[in-house]
Amino acid sequence: MIKLQGIWFSYGNENTGDELRNINLTIPEGQVVLICGESGCGKTTLTRLINGLIPNYYEGKLQGSVLIEDTNISEKPLYDIAPLVGSVFQNPRSQFFSMDTTSELAFGCENIGLSEDLITERMERVVSDFQISYLMGRSIFALSGGEKQKIACASSAMMEPKIFVLDEPSSNLDIKSIGDLAKVIALWKEQKKTIIITEHRLSYLMALADRVIYMKNGEIAEDLRIEEFKNIPQKEIYNMGLRSIAPITFQHHNDKILEKEMLELSNFHFSYEKIPTLEINHLKIPKRSIVGIIGNNGAGKTTFARCLCGLEKKSAGELQIGRKIFSGKQRLNQCYMVMQNPSHQLFTEEVMDEVLLSMEDDTEENRELVNKVLHDLNLQGLKNRHPMSFSGGQQQRVAIASAIVSGRSMMVFDEPTSGLDFRHMKEVARNLQKLGAMGNTLFIITHDPELIAECCNYFIFMEQGKVLWSGGWSDLNMQRIINFFEATQYMELIHR
Amino acid sequence: MIEWQVLSSASKNLRVNLDPRTKLFLLITICILVIGGQINGIMLIIRPALAAISLILLFTAGKRKISNICIGVYVFFFICENFILPVMTGTLGFILLFFSGFITRLLPGMVMGYYTVETTSVSEFIAAMKKIHLTKKIVIPLAVMFRFFPTVIEEYHAIGDAMRMRGIRFGGKNIFKILEYRFIPMMICSIKIGEELSAAALTRGLGAPVHRTNICRIGFHFIDIFLIFLCIALFILSILSKIGVF
Repeated sequence: MIKLQGIWFSYGNENTGDELRNINLTIPEGQVVLICGESGCGKTTLTRLINGLIPNYYEGKLQGSVLIEDTNISEKPLYDIAPLVGSVFQNPRSQFFSMDTTSELAFGCENIGLSEDLITERMERVVSDFQISYLMGRSIFALSGGEKQKIACASSAMMEPKIFVLDEPSSNLDIKSIGDLAKVIALWKEQKKTIIITEHRLSYLMALADRVIYMKNGEIAEDLRIEEFKNIPQKEIYNMGLRSIAPITFQHHNDKILEKEMLELSNFHFSYEKIPTLEINHLKIPKRSIVGIIGNNGAGKTTFARCLCGLEKKSAGELQIGRKIFSGKQRLNQCYMVMQNPSHQLFTEEVMDEVLLSMEDDTEENRELVNKVLHDLNLQGLKNRHPMSFSGGQQQRVAIASAIVSGRSMMVFDEPTSGLDFRHMKEVARNLQKLGAMGNTLFIITHDPELIAECCNYFIFMEQGKVLWSGGWSDLNMQRIINFFEATQYMELIHR
Repeated sequence: MIEWQVLSSASKNLRVNLDPRTKLFLLITICILVIGGQINGIMLIIRPALAAISLILLFTAGKRKISNICIGVYVFFFICENFILPVMTGTLGFILLFFSGFITRLLPGMVMGYYTVETTSVSEFIAAMKKIHLTKKIVIPLAVMFRFFPTVIEEYHAIGDAMRMRGIRFGGKNIFKILEYRFIPMMICSIKIGEELSAAALTRGLGAPVHRTNICRIGFHFIDIFLIFLCIALFILSILSKIGVF
């Protein structure tokens, strides 16, 4: 039983106001609670209270008490909370302390001083429960995001806590891995564990959650049973700023007639350690289209994007636009990539300088153009701030601004909407559509069916380094996309 | 996913699986005796013997290609140093002297260092350091450093890609600006990852005031004991030769 009583919380001295206000919440044992709400509504903060990171690690002003089985955990050190509450975080890259999977599983138990024999015994059980024997003894750095998240779940299960706290665990996962994650949650539910999950992607949890808590501005706005939540009409869900709870439906985009002029790609090949990861002999893409690159993780989507941008030096392959042929090195100046983590590509101290960096020189005219672009992207008020102080979405817009002024006509986006709520996803989709309307050809790597429904008008479906099919919104292709997002429908997996 | 790491991440099945302590002792021995030792008397035998040990170990670790290259290079310069140099004069002789001296002294240490990091996993390393009763204050920062290296290198490459894509290259613009562009995003990203990493580690009980256990089993085998005694013997021999017994 978890009891939060009269919680008020704010982080440090920032003038951001209260992060949590007047939270009173009781979660009985064995309940699966989904906490949802827009970015910044305080849901992550709430999970940090339960796993003890607040006030032990993230400091701030805390009022009220957090009780687990009638002990106030806010007064306990983290290592005493660790065996009670297991945590899984959003970013699979930054939650591993060890470098190989076996030591990672043992890490928590070693810390609390369990005997070697007991650890080995538990490990055998967890490995068979999670069916991860094929992952044991491997380097963490060589795992995919989905595999990493499985290891993260397994290693928190090693401590055998009664409560699990998951903070947006699916943000960086593909459809198939989300299915695996759902299976893990189902297993814990079967074991009568208490589970608290914050999420933007809701549909995979509809068959698992018992209760939904909707947060707004740091307060609990709704506290519903899952049946009640499922009955909320889709329109209302969108108004609440939440992602769809039902499978996405796609509509024909017949209004968008694709260009006759084509980009022709030939001989895009790439191998990593002699294993071919990309094999595209010939591919035609209409100019000025918004291309969704879809497929499961490991299908070669990122490799394709990197080769397209000329970032892989060893890759051959030519791109033909009209009569011009671009080799890999020449493509470096033709394509602009907006990375998944935009803070990798922002270098200067001010937004203005950052965008000007993409232009030849710093003239009055250029400055005017930059101002206009910043205005279009709702960045005009921020132009003298340091880009590193921005949120992820703002950084992404700065990167888009510098892409626009760079004058390159091909832009590649690597999962631009992972971990975004409905409103922010819409905003990204609008920006992408604007870019498309300006005559650019966009390539979007994405696992987000809602983004695809919003803005893509051409598709490349990849599997094992090859393009399985490509094309626009024909009936056949639409059915293929529906199948792809449904084939891995989580609910069926669970009810099987 | 490309791997960038300093210590090996997973223990591999090797024919010769040495205890990390043995590897460290060998490394120290080679560094002291081969780099710092003299090149006369008994040292003429000790130095190639130590070089041979490091090269054989690398060979048995399954690094065939690189160990063959190293063996070739070492043998070539060893022959130069001992048989060709005495009969050569002039500038060419000087250059050869420089290179052969450099390589015969440094290569064995580098090979041994490479072997050590390639074949030791972080958990083995921590277990070994605990066995020699090194304080936690040194072991934990070292372990964190090993954990952090691959992350920092990953960030470094991602930023490098972004710079190439945006056309920011060396030359032309101010070199300090280039360094700033490269390192400031890297530091900010690394700090963020470090913060998340510590939070994750703390929720898994790191720092509990109990005796920490370790499932990694290390221990001395016959080959370890043999190599350690060999090293001790070589040390004694070199000291004896220094004080002029031979």
